[in-house]
Amino acid sequence: MSTPAIDVGWGAVVQRVTPRLNGLWVLLGLIAVMALLPCIASPYALMLMLPFIGYGITLLGFNLLFGTTGLLSFGHALFLGVGAYTAAALTSKFGILSFELLLITAALASGLISLVIGALCVRYTRIFFGMLTLAFGMLFHSFLFKFYSVTGGDQGMRVLRPLLLGMEWRGGKTAFLTGPFYYYTLLLFALLGLAMWRITQSPFGLHLRAIRENANKAAYVGVQIFRMRLAAFVISAIYGGIGGTILAVTTGLADPELAYWTHSGNLVFMAVLGGSGTFAGPAIGALVFVLLQDFVMSVTQYWRFVMGAVLVLLVVFMPQGLSGTIEALVRRNGGR
Amino acid sequence: MTELIDVFLGGTFHAAVLFLVAAGLQLVFGVQKIVNLACGSFYALGAYFGITAVGLAIKFGMPPVLFFPVLIVAGLAIGLVGLPIERVLRTIYRRDESYQLLITFGFLLMFQDVFRFLWGATPRTMDDVYLAYGTANVLGVRVPTYNLLVIAASLGIAVGLGFFLERTRIGRIVRATAENRDMAEGLGVNASKIFALVFTVGCMLGTVGGALVVPSGAASLDMAVELVVESFAVVVIGGLGSMRGALVGALVVGLMRAAAISLVPELEMLSVYLVVVIVLIVRPAGLFGKATA
Amino acid sequence: MQPTPAADNDPLFEAINVSKSFGVFKALRDVSFRVDDGEFVSVVGPNGAGKTTLVNVVSGLLRPTIGEVRFMGRDIAGIGPVELARLGMSRAFQLVNIFPALTVRETLAVAVASRLRRIGNPFRSLRRDDVLQADVERVAEVLGLRARLDAVASALSQGEKKLLDIASAFALNPSVILLDEPTSGVSSGDKHAIMEVLVTAARAAGVRAIVQVEHDMDLVERYSHRIVALQEGTVLADMVPAAFFRDPAMISAVIGTRPKTLGGMH
Repeated sequence: MSTPAIDVGWGAVVQRVTPRLNGLWVLLGLIAVMALLPCIASPYALMLMLPFIGYGITLLGFNLLFGTTGLLSFGHALFLGVGAYTAAALTSKFGILSFELLLITAALASGLISLVIGALCVRYTRIFFGMLTLAFGMLFHSFLFKFYSVTGGDQGMRVLRPLLLGMEWRGGKTAFLTGPFYYYTLLLFALLGLAMWRITQSPFGLHLRAIRENANKAAYVGVQIFRMRLAAFVISAIYGGIGGTILAVTTGLADPELAYWTHSGNLVFMAVLGGSGTFAGPAIGALVFVLLQDFVMSVTQYWRFVMGAVLVLLVVFMPQGLSGTIEALVRRNGGR
Repeated sequence: MTELIDVFLGGTFHAAVLFLVAAGLQLVFGVQKIVNLACGSFYALGAYFGITAVGLAIKFGMPPVLFFPVLIVAGLAIGLVGLPIERVLRTIYRRDESYQLLITFGFLLMFQDVFRFLWGATPRTMDDVYLAYGTANVLGVRVPTYNLLVIAASLGIAVGLGFFLERTRIGRIVRATAENRDMAEGLGVNASKIFALVFTVGCMLGTVGGALVVPSGAASLDMAVELVVESFAVVVIGGLGSMRGALVGALVVGLMRAAAISLVPELEMLSVYLVVVIVLIVRPAGLFGKATA
Repeated sequence: MQPTPAADNDPLFEAINVSKSFGVFKALRDVSFRVDDGEFVSVVGPNGAGKTTLVNVVSGLLRPTIGEVRFMGRDIAGIGPVELARLGMSRAFQLVNIFPALTVRETLAVAVASRLRRIGNPFRSLRRDDVLQADVERVAEVLGLRARLDAVASALSQGEKKLLDIASAFALNPSVILLDEPTSGVSSGDKHAIMEVLVTAARAAGVRAIVQVEHDMDLVERYSHRIVALQEGTVLADMVPAAFFRDPAMISAVIGTRPKTLGGMH
């Protein structure tokens, strides 16, 4: 070193740069496995994978806000609602069936709504941000719930089967969903995963991480806190809108519960379950959540109790989530 | 005119109950810095347990006039459930807020099924108490006497809580711990005990609130998750951590809802959220909150 | 870095008759001072004299109640940190102020990315941005952090953390650097090392002036060209170190009695 002697003795841990498991490859590997799934899995299992794809995409976006920028939204389900109701309104009210148009409209609608809400919310951090986003989520929910004439109230709105790439697909509902729709959304998942990876690896992503780490300091090195947070909010909302569209097409229904605050809580649950500190973690959390919930529901009617207990135990004993814990184990064994 | 008084009394009744839950939320946030999503569960727990308690009271042939104190005692007693929950929360006090929020969300989910298991999925009602206390005439409007009792009880608790925090020795210790836990511990305060006490009192405020509200409505599985949002609205409007804020916020939300229900029912909750958003834009820290960076 | 004669030049930045009150408390009363090209100015004074307020005002974080703050001829009252960084004034803090989970490379890249305006396109690669990376390495080299580029900030030693904090201020290529007790919390051996790096780096990076708030009179005497002494919010003295340290009244006003051990080191 060409520097004057600075005591590096105390507190200095020589960080061995262990190559971390690249999050993008984990995600793409998972998606590749899922692409092979139709060869072996039952239609029931494939139907279960569809909500995972919807949640997985949502969680990719959610974690840009939560894991990367450090903002915990407790109202993110709002954007699932926006995506779902966009799909419902376009297909059953306006007769627009092109899935591409649904996605683009849902993304635009989420983007616009999040721009307004975000501008009001991202000035706050921590718990205040969480409470505000929750309030906005519930504002939207009660709008969906009460304005029966527009939204169908608690009945929700039907979502018709869309056209993929302008093509109409014959056959039963399950055949459509587990066939062309499955592959289509899986590809979309991969593309959006790739895009999100680029975002997290960009200077923009770095600025978001700097904000999470120390917003005050970040401002002094030229990070535009408000703008960056807002941008992260909007991007995450767009992912949520797209995820919501997929969920709604899968169930054929857009209902207010999608935007209810406990649903937002589930999104946070998934993110922490998988581990918000890693790129693929939250998506894996979505997968485990969907499978676990399906399993527990098949075993007992008191599935909420079990899921709640899992969450409590997770927070107490495994705050790094599945991927964080696995990574730590790998590092301990491999790093030696 | 009578309609106005009707709305006012209905709103105040709702506000009285809302205040209790929100005060519990504020107390726990003020000292432990945890936003307790399970406050709604405590409220529902108080309601269900209140029904059971009154059921027992009837079985033992207690005169109906005693139902009101029975409900209060039931609420206080079941509030002790806060103690074991605090034991679990204790493991994560130094952890990030998101985990604290999530763990209370986990409790909320668990409680939902505890209620379902113990009291079933259909809403439970209790009319006996309302009938027992009859109605009173307030400025030409007939209101259930019970509602007036609840408003009075809530006011009494507000005053008592204020006295406890401001005037008593333990109250001062609680406030010192809220201000700076490490410093308080340095001065010999047993912060663990204070935290357990505060959380249990916060929990009791919720359970008493639930027990008091149940005669006027029903105990149902939805009430927990619904109340969480309402009490959030109260604390956002009033300012997080402020007791006065909880009181004013509860009045705003209670009256707003009552007014909306009688004028434009569609706007019932929407109006509350709108107030939240407006307060947020105009006074970001809430009406009585300290500004935060 | 050598001061240029002040008389005929426009100051690099200046505070003109600045007062700042917080409620009834007057933190600064009618303070004027200027910093010229090439100067290293130390602001000294007992606790509560208004040093930090003064730095906050001249760095545009606080708006003065009365008076004017100008940087290269521009009014910068209350412009805030981001604009300030853009204009070319950067700041390091009293307490170690780092991004704990980011590596040294990433920390410097944050500043370099904002200077090179790499933020507009969220899909742009950070790793393959050779210009940006080269600049990060240049800054690390200058501040002696080259060997630690891939270390996580929280794992650095206290002295290295300070250097990293200062390095990220340098990464903005500022013309003025404001330092709030740059060496507080660092062992006295490290203090001099850090100051040496700092001054050398400033010369290499073309920094035009450094303003520091400092308690350590050794460092003040050794590195400053000029000392501004504050007392109860007013300027008590504005003079060269030699004159300042010859005046016992001055020294006792600022630091009480000066400990012998510190006085005779050089």
